[in-house]
Amino acid sequence: MNKLTKGDKILIFTILVVSLLSLFYTKRLATNFDEKYVSIQVDGEEIKKIVFDKSIIGKTIPIESEYGYNLIEIGDEKVRVIEADCPDQLDVKQGYISRVGEVIVCLPNRLVIEIKGVAEGEVDYISH
Amino acid sequence: MKGIKRMIFLSLLVSIGLALSLFESMMPLPFIAPGAKLGLSNMVILITLVVFGFKEALTVGTLKSIIFTLATGSVTSLFYSLSGSVLSCILMFIINHRFSNIFSLIGVSIFGAVAHNFGQVLVASLMMSNIRIFSYLPILLLTSLFTGYFVGLTSKFAVKNLKSSFDNIFYSN
Repeated sequence: MNKLTKGDKILIFTILVVSLLSLFYTKRLATNFDEKYVSIQVDGEEIKKIVFDKSIIGKTIPIESEYGYNLIEIGDEKVRVIEADCPDQLDVKQGYISRVGEVIVCLPNRLVIEIKGVAEGEVDYISH
Repeated sequence: MKGIKRMIFLSLLVSIGLALSLFESMMPLPFIAPGAKLGLSNMVILITLVVFGFKEALTVGTLKSIIFTLATGSVTSLFYSLSGSVLSCILMFIINHRFSNIFSLIGVSIFGAVAHNFGQVLVASLMMSNIRIFSYLPILLLTSLFTGYFVGLTSKFAVKNLKSSFDNIFYSN
């Protein structure tokens, strides 16, 4: 009764391989950049761009929009959300992100914090 | 008479699904990725699908999502939860209907969990207009493998007992 069929086993194996491969692929994709910046987007629009710098370590940035409130803290080459008014607090629980391509998403507040990589000399705005 | 009994059983299933969802949202879980849940209510949808049928399962899934939104009060999550459950319901129906000789209920449940996650990520990335959200998908797929397996196993045991008692109720009198 509770035996796996052959199809089940193949399915489990396929999903395992596909997800592990794509996991490694996204990791590898993320290591090809040397310049990193934080992109903060509300409802799909980029509202802030922050380049990592020694002088802004520990700085907090409040993000207030019509959808809600989040407080973001910049660390040493990493960023996290420390306060949010959303009910599930998933963005706070996620902790720091540091690699290019990693994102923190707060669905109720439509907030996306994304680490992006740039080719040299493409930063057009530095926020202190 | 049978119609009323059917309706009562379906509404019972909706309330079981709702209770499971609420219970799940209170349970402290190790944080893996946003959106990673046990998917206990998927059990109810799967059981409805096997015991009653596709239309009933879709109804139960949709009603459960709507009432869960009313209970918790986060309207935006309605779209994510609805898109996930509708997509997983459709896929589970196709697999259960056409390929039940290849996959057991565990396979069907894993397909459902994968479809649920895919639907949620798809709607999230559409709503946020950011394709990067798909980078959550691999880790969500991995967790859905485990949750799907156990949901399938549980449903299997439940269906074994429920099917005979439902048959007794609906076909004996």
